[in-house]
Amino acid sequence: MAQMSVRGLTKHFGAVRAVENLTFDVPSGGITGFLGPNGAGKTTTLRIALGLVRPTAGEALIDGSRYADLPQPRRVVGAVLEATGFHPGRRGRDHLRVLAQQAGVSGRRVDEVLELVDLTRAADRRVAGYSLGMRQRLGLASALLGDPEVLVLDEPSNGLDPAGIAWLRDLLRGLAADGRAILVSSHVLSEVAQTVDQVVIVHEGRLRYAGRLDGLDGDSLEAAFLSLTGAGRSGR
Amino acid sequence: MTGLRNEILKLRTVRGPLLLLAAGQLVVIAGASGLFVSGADIADPNTPLRAVAHAGLVSIFSLILGIVGMAGEYRHKTVTDTFLGTPRRGRVVADKLVVYAAAGVAVGLVSSVVSTTITALWMSGKGGSLDLSDPAVWRTLAGCVVWNACFAAIGVGLGALIRNVVGAIAVALAWIALVEGIVSQLLGDLGKWLPFASGVALEDIPAANVQQLPPWGGGLVLATYAVVFAAVAVSTTVRRDVS
Repeated sequence: MAQMSVRGLTKHFGAVRAVENLTFDVPSGGITGFLGPNGAGKTTTLRIALGLVRPTAGEALIDGSRYADLPQPRRVVGAVLEATGFHPGRRGRDHLRVLAQQAGVSGRRVDEVLELVDLTRAADRRVAGYSLGMRQRLGLASALLGDPEVLVLDEPSNGLDPAGIAWLRDLLRGLAADGRAILVSSHVLSEVAQTVDQVVIVHEGRLRYAGRLDGLDGDSLEAAFLSLTGAGRSGR
Repeated sequence: MTGLRNEILKLRTVRGPLLLLAAGQLVVIAGASGLFVSGADIADPNTPLRAVAHAGLVSIFSLILGIVGMAGEYRHKTVTDTFLGTPRRGRVVADKLVVYAAAGVAVGLVSSVVSTTITALWMSGKGGSLDLSDPAVWRTLAGCVVWNACFAAIGVGLGALIRNVVGAIAVALAWIALVEGIVSQLLGDLGKWLPFASGVALEDIPAANVQQLPPWGGGLVLATYAVVFAAVAVSTTVRRDVS
């Protein structure tokens, strides 16, 4: 069953066609890699799916509803976006308390997610003093607060060290094994190849491939990616 | 209710609001003291009113508080999480209007206590006394509180409209320091409907040569500015894509 489905999604910014008639599904119980070079329309697609950006045409549905129509959106979908920010003067724990209250989630859950992302000891420090990796983990904790069935992560391994990336991979695998639908965008192919069950590859806003990793032509994901996104041919 | 409580929690978990409140009190203390140092006539019944009325000038800080409360969400990109949790964006702005108006009341009350205390000290130091049984003092203080509440709400509307903290504060301060005076001269009697003039009217201190609204009229005009700014923002800038 598809937890998230993108149907004919199109977004134009003036003359720029950021996303063009994009259709794909994100099934539950697995991790879907959302791949494409920078500027391929990945982030725009994710923002539309989360109701932050209005599509020019088409729609993205989560459990059959548009995000804005979900009665308790944070209990259904958790998201970490590049556009997600923190008030530098607010303590990590307080950031989560604000979001928990808004989503109707108990204060105990705040402690749980802090533990889950290993930020308990830093929780009472102000976010201004956090490293990039700690901010990523705080973002992840925010996304997990509502114990959502769908997780949307935009470049989640940015700022994580190799140990952090391995930790994230295990965490996501566990969450998918619980039956969640997970969509992870990335332009770093090597880390995605070891994590995902299926991939959606976009280039210049258009779908190039959607399906299982082993369904791709070529010797490696990288070779397939480069040929699908035309990078090899254009010599970039 | 959750939305209101959420905005209060956001306010309480950062230090900016308290710093603004403290800075405002310095202005009250310095401003009221300045009046007496420069030799105000303590026999003039308007002197204590003008001194306690410095609590109303703190509304400039309340205005900044409101601007930062709304536009600051865009600056720190917390607005993404805010709208993810509450996709109905108009609701977010409405909750902020209410909470920041209440915060403005709190700022106005604290400022009133400080300005009244300072005024009483100076009056007795000069051999007079502040007559707290004079209803005019209480009317002025009430006007100061309402001015702070309205300016905080206007700040929310302005912040939603401009979405850029520095830009919104620059516009607000330029308006108060320069533009309103110029526009007021051009408008003549109609100048009394402008925001700062409406705030001054709230303090209910008789002034020569200046046309001003009755205090209740000043409050009504300011509340209208706040709601109009917020409504225009909700139907324009706040609807825009968040990126």
